[in-house]
Amino acid sequence: MSLLELKEVKKIYQQGKIKVPALRGVDLHVEEGEFTTIFGPSGSGKTTLLNMIGCLDTPTEGEIRLNEKKVSDLSRKALAMTRRHNIGFVFQSYNLIPVLTAYENVEFAIRLIDHTSALQIKEKVLKILDEVGLNGLENRRPNELSGGEKQRVAIARALVKEPKLVLADEPTANLDSKNAADVVDIMRKMNKELKTTFIFSTHDPMVMKYARRLINLKDGMISADERRG
Amino acid sequence: MFSFKLGLKNLTRQKRRNFITIFVIAFAFLSYLMMDSIMNGMEEISFDNIINYDTGNVQVAYPEYWEDRDELFLENLMDLNRDMEESIENTDGLLGVSPELRFKANLNNGIDEVSVRGVGISIEKYNQVFGTKNYVVEGSMFAPGESKAVIGVRLAELMDLKVSDYITLLVRTTEDTFNTIDIEIAGLVRAPNPMINNGIVFVPLEVAQEALNVDNGISMLAIKTVTGDESVVIKALADSFKNKGLGLRAYSWKESAASVIALSTAKKGGIGAILSIVLLIGMIGIVNNVILSALERTEEIGMMKALGMREWEIVFVFMVEATGIGILGGLAGCLLGYAGVSWLVKNGYSLAYIGGDGAAYGIPILDKIYGAWNYPAFSFLFSLGVIIAVLSSILPSYWAAHKDPVKAIYHR
Repeated sequence: MSLLELKEVKKIYQQGKIKVPALRGVDLHVEEGEFTTIFGPSGSGKTTLLNMIGCLDTPTEGEIRLNEKKVSDLSRKALAMTRRHNIGFVFQSYNLIPVLTAYENVEFAIRLIDHTSALQIKEKVLKILDEVGLNGLENRRPNELSGGEKQRVAIARALVKEPKLVLADEPTANLDSKNAADVVDIMRKMNKELKTTFIFSTHDPMVMKYARRLINLKDGMISADERRG
Repeated sequence: MFSFKLGLKNLTRQKRRNFITIFVIAFAFLSYLMMDSIMNGMEEISFDNIINYDTGNVQVAYPEYWEDRDELFLENLMDLNRDMEESIENTDGLLGVSPELRFKANLNNGIDEVSVRGVGISIEKYNQVFGTKNYVVEGSMFAPGESKAVIGVRLAELMDLKVSDYITLLVRTTEDTFNTIDIEIAGLVRAPNPMINNGIVFVPLEVAQEALNVDNGISMLAIKTVTGDESVVIKALADSFKNKGLGLRAYSWKESAASVIALSTAKKGGIGAILSIVLLIGMIGIVNNVILSALERTEEIGMMKALGMREWEIVFVFMVEATGIGILGGLAGCLLGYAGVSWLVKNGYSLAYIGGDGAAYGIPILDKIYGAWNYPAFSFLFSLGVIIAVLSSILPSYWAAHKDPVKAIYHR
């Protein structure tokens, strides 16, 4: 079943009097449960494409459908609600809240959508932290965690609300190779167990090695789309 | 609510900046509360000093005299008769009634001469109404039947006089002829009301009446009432005077203190201006804090938006933080204010710091202005401070929350 569908998506940024095209007409279908990597040189439009898919930005032209619902022309409020319920984000620089513990950073995401009892929320948060290998580190603040541990908290935060889609913008860029491999392993595990769809942007060959679909973006257009067994 | 918890936790970030903002708000509160206390204290002491050393609670005189009372004319004087005495005796709530004959005089010490206000008093009755006797610093008040005078220490210093010296008062009689009162000084007073110390000479009533040739004439009666609310007494006296057709009127001390009351009213305007400045300082502190926090947390705001937080939810996080700073600043300000006002109430503010007694500023206070407690000012200022903190955080919080999520996330 098609989770995500992009038709002739274009994005043009206006810089003063100059129009800078970031995406020049992208067509893309992503099925549920895919583990997809978008790669390409700097300035090829990877981040812009992720922003469009993640409902953080709207295209200048074209159409985006998420779960068969057209999201490319939604209001800011509707986009926020779409992100809240359907999309998880993992950022290169983790973007954790420094005054909150690992537990609270994850709890923060689920509290936005889940209004069940505190006990049920606690169970969910502890379970996901355990799954990303942070058992026993729940009460540490971000400054007491390593880069790999911080990124695991960010992954847990993205996954705790059980979104259909997780977008990760260069999630291993700030990590050493061991931590990067651990983080990708965790995401692969979640992809298998929860059937969550993952889309990455990356330069990291190790991440690309694990991807089951590789999309090469060049000058704002898809130049190659390779599926692996 | 998690946003509330996050807002509170954010208070622990940027501790130094938050502390400075809280301190600025607290200092502004302290300044206001101390100013308010000193102004209220000044009002209380001024009014007490007017009542206890100058007018009593109520003054009775003919309206024709009252209108020109500052001129100290010897016209329209009262001649106490049986009807007048009955009216006063039958009025409840009086602690004392003091007849006074006020007149213009020139005091001569044999070398120099200065213009003064003479006041003829019946010493026993005067002491029932006024507390001047408690502030005789040298000698004593004159005794009944004794033909002596009492003057203020400042006047004595000015004219180089001391107890037992003789002074000459040059007066003009009702017939417009000159007369003199040669009299020995019985005592020097240093009353809390500097007007008493600077230019008044107290002499026995009979001496003044004889010198001025006014028979039994008096300018007015000064009355001390049992309670501070003199309106009941004024009404009772007015009714009695009217029934007997005496033509007299009873006046509240407030009518003689118009200039001090005007000063007090102006003070309220001044306090309002100070309050505005205090609130403005608080507002600037809060706005500055929210803007700086938002600038520092731009990526965090982007992350919140990526998580799907709506703008009002992000606004709420910043408003909780700003309100927390307002509350902490307000509490610290009230605590500092409590300490400052306590000090003012106990130790007072010496008028020597502003170059002398209050008479120079039209304030009937001699040495020190003591603070007065105004508890509602604490709760009013705290509540207003919190409301201002909430209101002043709305716009910068909205500015922070309205950031474009993409620009915020990738902000460097």
